[in-house]
Amino acid sequence: MNMLTVVTFAPLLGALIILCLPKEKVKAIQTVAFIFAGISMIASLAMLPGFDRGTPDMQFIERYAWIPSFGVQYFMGVDGLSFPLVLLTTFMCVIGLIASLGIENRVKEYFFWFLVLEVGMIGVFCALDLILFYVFWELTLVPMYFLIGVWGGPRKEFAAIKFFLYTLTGSVFMLLAILALYFAGTAPHTFDMLELAKMTGGWSKNFQILVFLGLYFGMAIKIPAFPFHTWLPLAHVEAPTPISVILAAVLLKMGVYGLLRICLSLTPVGFQWFLPALVVIAVINIVYGALCAMAQTDMKKMVAYSSVNHMGYCLLGIAGMTTAGFTGAVFQMLSHGIITGALFLLVGVIYDRAHTRDISAFGGLAVKLPVFAGLMSLTAFASLGLPGLAGFIGEFLCFLGAFQTWKLAAAISVLGIIATAAFFLRMLQKVFLGKLNEKWADLPDMTTRELVSVVPLAILTVLFGVYPKWPLDLMNKTIEHMLGK
Amino acid sequence: MIEHAYLIPLIPFAASLIMMFGAKEDPHSPVAWIGIGAMTICLGLSVSILAAAAGGQIPLPYEHNWHWFSFAASIGGKSFLYDMPIGVLIDGPAAVLLVVVTLVSLMVQIYSVAYMHEDTRYKRYFAFVSFFTASMLGLVVSSNILVGFMSWELMGLSSYLLIGFWFEKDGPTEAQKKAFMTTKLGDSGLYLALLFIFAKVGSFQITQIHQFINNGYMTGTVATVIAIGILFGAMGKSAQFPLFIWLPDAMEGPTPGSALIHAATMVAAGIFVVARLYFIFLAAPDAMLVAAWIGCITAFMAAAMALVSYDIKRVLAFSTVSQLGFMMCALGVGGYTSGLFHLTTHAFFKALLFLGAGSVIHSVHTNDMRLMGGLSKKMPITFVTMGAAILAIAGIPGTSGYYSKDMILANIYYANQPIFWIMLGTALMTAFYMSRLFILTFWGDDRDHEKHHHAHESPFLITGPLVLLAFLSLVSGYMLNRDDLVYRLLAKPTISAQAPAGHAPVHAEAASADAHAAPALSAAAAEHAEGGAHHEGHLPHWLHLALPFLVLGSIGLAFTLYKGPRYALADGLKSTFAPAFHLLDRRWFLDDAFDLLVVFCDKVAAVAFWIDANVVDRVFVDGWGLLTRVFAEISNLIDALFVDRTVDGFGGLSLDLGVGLRGLVKEGQVQEYLMYVAIAFSLAATLILTR
Repeated sequence: MNMLTVVTFAPLLGALIILCLPKEKVKAIQTVAFIFAGISMIASLAMLPGFDRGTPDMQFIERYAWIPSFGVQYFMGVDGLSFPLVLLTTFMCVIGLIASLGIENRVKEYFFWFLVLEVGMIGVFCALDLILFYVFWELTLVPMYFLIGVWGGPRKEFAAIKFFLYTLTGSVFMLLAILALYFAGTAPHTFDMLELAKMTGGWSKNFQILVFLGLYFGMAIKIPAFPFHTWLPLAHVEAPTPISVILAAVLLKMGVYGLLRICLSLTPVGFQWFLPALVVIAVINIVYGALCAMAQTDMKKMVAYSSVNHMGYCLLGIAGMTTAGFTGAVFQMLSHGIITGALFLLVGVIYDRAHTRDISAFGGLAVKLPVFAGLMSLTAFASLGLPGLAGFIGEFLCFLGAFQTWKLAAAISVLGIIATAAFFLRMLQKVFLGKLNEKWADLPDMTTRELVSVVPLAILTVLFGVYPKWPLDLMNKTIEHMLGK
Repeated sequence: MIEHAYLIPLIPFAASLIMMFGAKEDPHSPVAWIGIGAMTICLGLSVSILAAAAGGQIPLPYEHNWHWFSFAASIGGKSFLYDMPIGVLIDGPAAVLLVVVTLVSLMVQIYSVAYMHEDTRYKRYFAFVSFFTASMLGLVVSSNILVGFMSWELMGLSSYLLIGFWFEKDGPTEAQKKAFMTTKLGDSGLYLALLFIFAKVGSFQITQIHQFINNGYMTGTVATVIAIGILFGAMGKSAQFPLFIWLPDAMEGPTPGSALIHAATMVAAGIFVVARLYFIFLAAPDAMLVAAWIGCITAFMAAAMALVSYDIKRVLAFSTVSQLGFMMCALGVGGYTSGLFHLTTHAFFKALLFLGAGSVIHSVHTNDMRLMGGLSKKMPITFVTMGAAILAIAGIPGTSGYYSKDMILANIYYANQPIFWIMLGTALMTAFYMSRLFILTFWGDDRDHEKHHHAHESPFLITGPLVLLAFLSLVSGYMLNRDDLVYRLLAKPTISAQAPAGHAPVHAEAASADAHAAPALSAAAAEHAEGGAHHEGHLPHWLHLALPFLVLGSIGLAFTLYKGPRYALADGLKSTFAPAFHLLDRRWFLDDAFDLLVVFCDKVAAVAFWIDANVVDRVFVDGWGLLTRVFAEISNLIDALFVDRTVDGFGGLSLDLGVGLRGLVKEGQVQEYLMYVAIAFSLAATLILTR
């Protein structure tokens, strides 16, 4: 059975069915969306027992000719690098759907685009053919454009077009780089990543550098790496809550994943050449991202900038060129997805009630909303890297990996950790502690629907922090072989 | 018993979860007894371990590890799977500290049943206390410094929760943030030290790191950098200069919580970690010297601040900082045994002092000692027990503080004379300010009749722990000092010779320099080191005899200045030396410096964000658009000037191209056409949209 096809395209089937439903049948549309996203999640979970943790190779491979004359294939497979991300995607999409139940406007289109987005995201992590990868990569763009542009906040159109153009520009360079790789390979030309990876020895340094830069440009915008990050805060602030969750939890990971999967394996020399720059970018992302977050008064924007900071840890881990650093980067992707997803959900919870996200507009909410305060504190502490919660493991491994290569950069980056603690603690203090602001005296605590979307993330945060063995075992073998060939 | 040592942190942890999530919030619920029961079990376990260790029935150190998780690591380009262990390592200091921590925590919890009985967040308080204790116990037993670091950080969280327990008020919320941030600042040093250790050693296991150093693989420079990092972490948690600013504010939390922070957990952690990783310091003489001076400066500055404060809890907080300075200084001069000995005795009398102060505050509802006075009649048990603690901390012969402080001073005397004289002065200041506190609170006549009238002795649940702790404050020093028990339990670790002999860090090392030549941990070396330590454990005879009289003298001075209701003499001094008093009252302006730092960071953050919004965004988004437009204009121009003229030429070319393409595209391959369309479309779309 082609499990990966099921996982990837089940949401597409759901999307098509939704297209056929009348738009008044809101319940039916929601149900269909849940069923097909659920199928995708269950199918990906069903792959867990069959996933061989002892091999670094690709598993669940599916390979069919797609455009034979160009050597384009439908080539899917997962290994320890991509499989955890597939699980993250299918899981976070279900969480995102739960949070989407509050959407009342143009429901049919919303769920249609949501499911199409899911297809693209899962596909990116499964595709092993460069053109297939590119198609999935671009497939995420259009739904995201509409999801921000139609269901977003006051400046949604601007945010959507900025996001679209920015990432599209990146994609064009990526496409050029992919074509260059195609023509550089020995005949018969192929887009097969695994085949191309074997040919890297024959490519000149300059060629690799050029191709790397093209690829990097596309990835860096998605990550987002400094200085291409400015679309992110705007997109996050304007996007509706569930889309912010997906954006932070999954979409940003595509960039880091691409860096590890494609740049590292197809242009190793170019990658090596770029490392000194990458570590500088990582440090800027970490420190500067944290400082920018510190300057925010809007909670959502603060969390958005904290994402810039957290993705900086991933870059730092990668720049170390050690397996510990790679492990850290992948783990950090998972933990950031879970934690920041939860943070965006929680910011949405307070925004739905108070219609403001201004940090200084609140005060003393811990008395009125103890459950909300507790969950928010948990995720905030997880995000600032408190041991025992998921954020710490990823962050620590990133630092551990980077420190072996870049001692000074790692030392400077520690400042980012301190700044992160500073702005999260200030947020907790201003929103939850102190005297209760009487304006919010009758704010209700979290509803069941909100709890159902946040609590699983909170549980995973604790679980991964206390017992990181489970996700680490999935990725260990693959990562162990990423450096040594 | 020792094979179940892993239960010691786990039991209170489980208890805290049960109390937090299993119980309802109710000030009269019996929930507190879950925590107390858990801690009693832990105390029993700890005592049995210590007793067995002291009696020699079980050999220490005891280590046992379990597999926790593994991750791919690479050192020197070689990849391997590193198995992260989680486990227990019980050595002498750990065995002693287990008893201290569980005992003090138990006393604090029993006391709190009475102290917190009116609070609306009753169960949460006990859950936090258990969690706090569990984190500290985790640090004490863990065999792996990463696990130790995790417990260390969880302790930071617990202190955050406990200091800000009454979060409706602004004082506690500011204090909790300050505590967390200051200690986090220190933690960053420890964090980097851990990274450095792993990069060098390839392991987090304490015994393996020790082995690594014994093998001489670590150079002096690396050891120094690592040791400074660890020291920086300890400076945060154990409130050393200049990071001690958080501790005086930390009293915003409930008073028994302060007792826990000041005696058993948190501040003890820094000293303990330095002791736990002492072999790194032994390989890094420069770092030891830094530690000694930091401890000395801390001890002096804090004692000076305690001289002028009128807030009873604040005086105690300053005295904690000062005493921690003594311990750090002792560790810095090679007085491993004396530093840990003082950590133990200090835990008892400082817990007692805080609990006693809590009893007083509970009774008179103020922290201000100027409004107290004459409480000895109203609160006899509190009066007597606090008196015992004062004797101990002042170092009156026979009390616990006398033994440990004497040993510290002796160690310093032989190692570093300048530090010794400062520390001697500080010891006398200690006797002075503690007597001052005692006199202002209990002695003479009442100064505030209203408050005095309502004052009453506390209930048994409060006085009971006081009495037990008073007993320990008096006799624990003697008990530990008997038969050289303290030298056996808290024996200084050794490292094999690897630094050149001339590099021997301090005098203390030189005394047992030949011990270095022998292989580490061999019986002969251990015995020899012990012998050396004995010699250092005693001051020269004349000083030894003079010290108690000096202490008595400074106590007498305190009586002269502060007896009577108005203490005019002290006030007169205060106006004479107003600038000095102001300096101390403003806490050496360190808090102002900290505030400036915060403001500065906010400014930097604002600048960073301004740059982001106005420079980076402009350049990389708007600039990109501009560039595209420029390109478009240029291509238009080229179009107009050249392309039109060459169209004919291109006509032929495109014909060729068309033929070529048709050759590529085989008939019937619909998907290929689609592919071209898609690529062409995305390119066209890019061009159109970016224009």
